[in-house]
Amino acid sequence: MTRRDAAMLEVRGLGLTLPDRARRRPFRAPPLVEILGGVDLDIGRGDSLAVVGESGSGKTSLGRTLLRLLRPSAGSIRFEGRDITALDEAALRPLRARLQMIFQDPLSALNPRRRIADSIAQPLIAYGRVAGRSEGRRRAAALLERVGLPPALGSRYPHELSGGQRQRVGIARAIALEPALVVADEIVSGLDASSQAQILTLLRDLRGDLGISLIFISHDLSVVRVLCERVLVLAQGRVVETGSTAAVFAAPRAPYTRALLDAVPLPIVDPSWIERSSADDVDPQSGKGGCGMKIAGSVALVTGANRGIGRAYVAALLAQGARKVYATARHAEAVADLAKAHPGKVEPLALDITDPGSVAAAASRCRDVSLLINNAGINQARGLLAAPDLAAARAEMETNYFGTLAMCRAFAPVLKGNGGGAIINMLSILSRVNLPLMGSLCASKAAGLSMTQGVRAELSGQGTQVIAIMPGAVDTDMSRDFPPPKMPPGEVAAAALAALEQGVEDVYPGDMASGVAQGLAGDPKAVEKQFAGYLPG
Amino acid sequence: MSALLEIERLHLELAAPGGAVPILRGVSLTLAAGSVLGLVGESGAGKTMVGKAVLGLQPAQARISEGALRFDGRDLTGLGAEERRRLLGRDMALIPQDPMTALNPVMRIEAQMTDVIRFHLGLGREAARERALALLAAVHIRAPERVLRQYPHELSGGMRQRALIAIAFACRPRLIVADEPTTALDVTVQRQILRLMKELQSTAGTALLFITHDLGVVAKLCDRVAVMHAGRVLEAADVAEVFARPRHDYTRALFAATPRYDRPADALVPVPADLTERLLAEARTYDEARRRHA
Repeated sequence: MTRRDAAMLEVRGLGLTLPDRARRRPFRAPPLVEILGGVDLDIGRGDSLAVVGESGSGKTSLGRTLLRLLRPSAGSIRFEGRDITALDEAALRPLRARLQMIFQDPLSALNPRRRIADSIAQPLIAYGRVAGRSEGRRRAAALLERVGLPPALGSRYPHELSGGQRQRVGIARAIALEPALVVADEIVSGLDASSQAQILTLLRDLRGDLGISLIFISHDLSVVRVLCERVLVLAQGRVVETGSTAAVFAAPRAPYTRALLDAVPLPIVDPSWIERSSADDVDPQSGKGGCGMKIAGSVALVTGANRGIGRAYVAALLAQGARKVYATARHAEAVADLAKAHPGKVEPLALDITDPGSVAAAASRCRDVSLLINNAGINQARGLLAAPDLAAARAEMETNYFGTLAMCRAFAPVLKGNGGGAIINMLSILSRVNLPLMGSLCASKAAGLSMTQGVRAELSGQGTQVIAIMPGAVDTDMSRDFPPPKMPPGEVAAAALAALEQGVEDVYPGDMASGVAQGLAGDPKAVEKQFAGYLPG
Repeated sequence: MSALLEIERLHLELAAPGGAVPILRGVSLTLAAGSVLGLVGESGAGKTMVGKAVLGLQPAQARISEGALRFDGRDLTGLGAEERRRLLGRDMALIPQDPMTALNPVMRIEAQMTDVIRFHLGLGREAARERALALLAAVHIRAPERVLRQYPHELSGGMRQRALIAIAFACRPRLIVADEPTTALDVTVQRQILRLMKELQSTAGTALLFITHDLGVVAKLCDRVAVMHAGRVLEAADVAEVFARPRHDYTRALFAATPRYDRPADALVPVPADLTERLLAEARTYDEARRRHA
């Protein structure tokens, strides 16, 4: 069993940010996206830890970061007592022999023009563990036998082997240098049931015999149970739950873990399983859930709670039985009166969505939020409209856009961990006005992609319902020119919360979007001109 | 219920430089109208080839050397290309494993859907578009208008699979062959796709031949199951029967080789090598006997 006293790998507060290539723009550094945040883990000698989660949860990135194939942006990694967080390639090289990886797709991980034996011997030669090629081949033959393959297979090429055989070769190569830690990333997901079982039992035996520590990355919880004593559940780059595999699987604490387990089809005849849906069973692609979200009993966070629409949300939430509301504004004093008026119900909080530090602090403090109402965004259109020139206007819009994305990203795991959630996104006005117009307005791909879609994409895989509500009709000057006229903030808040409860995706109180759409269908140039009129210069 | 699909002693071989290689060795199966038959087995068992033979999509070097394939009483083996074209997509359809390669990457979803609808149902452009929108709504795609305009790469794996399911059900076919349609998906998405297929299958009364290596999926979705190995059906019966009392050693071995999160680690036992050897020897003996007979 585990010997936790000898921590071989010790990870604290690990964070990873990568350039977001989907949102890169010409001549600028792409914006950064947070892949992992605040990950802690320990692995003792000979331990096995499973990392599970859906696609996009960051499990592959975690594996790569632990092996220092990626450089973490925060936190520390200690391997055999030594801090390897910031080592450069040269310093890492001797360590690489002790840190190995087995890849998901062995065919693309093996050189197609190299014989199997040479592929296995290659690391031995590179690290000077064998005198020459012939000794390398002899060692390769022994390794092949070790993984249950006939040594004669060494003279073949990768394409001549079956999927199961290739994966054994991947294992043979990974153990060739007698590593201390092996990261195996989805190594059986491409295999059929019987090859899966063979590979799993092989790894189980090897681990016992060689005393290798194993990090096993998989989305398949049944597979994980065979191999790993401990499990770590990852959602959106954050640890949702961790513990002994048997205990976590028998009694999961996080709703997310429960939903993952419930989604595994066990070989037990049960036609009703298909129809049953759990609380978290929300389609991550479309954001569609079986039903909408309950406002009563929820814990909400409202941004921009100092202004008209934000205040209206706070009032509407409390009236509909929300358990608690975090009322946030750039300065907490601006919302102090709300807290005074609703003691114990409203908690004031300083939050600036354009400041990543402030957003991160709020996300780690407000772990009980199940409903995020992001009300900042384009409601600062006054600021946009008051900008001295076009560049400043663009900058203002982008700040709001990326601020909103940062909020979504930071709160997504919180929302999911609390049994799903919802976000009301106040940016949709411009997204609905058509893409070329957005393009000319912002001249940035980010905005051109349409803001609502950007936010939805950000939350895909989260099971988080996104309600887009058009704020334009409320308190920007644009509403002057498009029917119908302004709507009272209270009505907008009520419409949005009703949509949330009904599970409706887009709401347009006052239906200004259709006015714009009509205009575009008639004379797009005129509408464009009208919009351009809002912009300075 | 009458049999919609009857496969009788189907023998199929692939032409190879050293002589024909037998792939299917006398496969017999029946699928009742509106029911779901699971076809399980490991890679190379021949389950995908059965599905292809039913649809007439077997590779050019494949030859059906013996046996019959009947759909609604009509022989499929002698169908000409034109008759086949009328049948495929309208009366029978395929949901493939990999939605990315099955969709044309340079065509919008709209064209890929309306092509099938217009060809088989003779609808005009507008009517076909309406039908496509309704189908996307039926597979629970929230913004069908948007999806119609998109290219396959703009959709996630789950969404692509939904689009393919919509295309398969476009003409309310009586038979759908689904070849590992959820193997590449996360378990959470898999469950939604299975639910969707079950829902459409039962409302449209479509029969489903569901090819998979996952006994868990069979347990949740199928009415009957056939276990294949080396081109032979070793056991075929109601799902409840097979899961309660598997008769063939190989079926029992498959159950033991299926990892389960609710069982301790050492409960997993791979299919024993001597069992596989025995089955392969049986297959060789079978081939030998046939050759002598011929």
